[in-house]
Amino acid sequence: MIAPPRIVGCVSVVALCAIAATPAAQNQPHSALTGVWAPFGGGRGADPAVAPPAAGPVVLKPAYAKDYLAQRAADAEATKRGEPPASASAACVPYGMPRMMAVASYPVEILETSGQFTIITEAFSEVRRVFMGQPQLPIDEVPPGYYGHSVGRWDGETLVIDTVGIKESVPGYQNIPHSDQMRITERLRLVTPDVLHNQITIDDPVVLEKPVVYTLAYRRLRDYKMVEFVCDNNREYVDEKGRVRMRLDSGGR
Amino acid sequence: MSTNRHARVVLAAIFALVPGTTFVLAHHSFAMFDTANPITISGTVTAFEWTNPHVYIEVDVAESQATKHWAIELGSPSILMRGGWKFNTIKKGDKITAVVSPLRNGEPGSLLNRVTLADGRVLGNGGPAGVGPGTPPPATAPSR
Repeated sequence: MIAPPRIVGCVSVVALCAIAATPAAQNQPHSALTGVWAPFGGGRGADPAVAPPAAGPVVLKPAYAKDYLAQRAADAEATKRGEPPASASAACVPYGMPRMMAVASYPVEILETSGQFTIITEAFSEVRRVFMGQPQLPIDEVPPGYYGHSVGRWDGETLVIDTVGIKESVPGYQNIPHSDQMRITERLRLVTPDVLHNQITIDDPVVLEKPVVYTLAYRRLRDYKMVEFVCDNNREYVDEKGRVRMRLDSGGR
Repeated sequence: MSTNRHARVVLAAIFALVPGTTFVLAHHSFAMFDTANPITISGTVTAFEWTNPHVYIEVDVAESQATKHWAIELGSPSILMRGGWKFNTIKKGDKITAVVSPLRNGEPGSLLNRVTLADGRVLGNGGPAGVGPGTPPPATAPSR
């Protein structure tokens, strides 16, 4: 049985307040989700009890499917030639939502404070904030950005996060295009005390025929200290043909 | 079958093969490197840059007529620390031997496969998340 998330508060729980005042108690997570998590995949050899379920299909509206398929084929061909196409990450531009939630095996830190979850990624040091118990804003009132506006609520033992306001230039899941009407719903729940699943649903009535659903899985890293990631020595650049190249000199870094 | 219908079917087929986790390279594709044909280079380190998004080793390699300068790209500090690296593992002046995947375009740039340090230690190009000093192995061993 997984203990439900709990919030330690001096206002409502006097006894816990006293416990929290001790140095040892201050180091304890307030929520079972608080901690550092490393993404892992499914596939061959994965423990079926904790592996993420297979992703659902992506079905784009016809107006977007043709261009997407053509671009995907062109990128694959260029990569096969050893001329990988440019990407935002190659220019050290952050991933943004939703891709920041699983960048290779880089850990993600989840922190709970009063009324807020803060999610920090090790790769590119991205930060997003989830405001608990607040109504979501209308999409046209959210300035388009990399992380949008996120609100959260508990559904039993599942943390449900609703995010809108991701600008269209931020690369989407599997590089699928998206509109300013995209809505991302995340459902985070502990499968075991040390395995977390985040089921992500992307709904975009402009681009998608139906919502895309996929699940990210993470395992808890105990005693892990997040590592600094400031992208100040990027030797990759895009040449005049749009190919990623490696600069051979460091510029004195 | 109409073209539009065909496109929808093709897309569904493509994504049915995608695993649940969106594993992507953290920074860029490594397709520019010839990973199928690694080479070995030995020389003297002129710089070791412990930086993001990548760590770099600069090395002078003596050839028959002249010295050739190579740049070797590694993972990020985070990735390398998992594999036993530290910011001062290599110092300027160290003699190293590295197995690398060279750039396909023939320029003297490369991606590290493994390196033999001056003291004989052999290090690779990183390790899985959370594996390293002070971090116990996970209770389960999911594949990456």
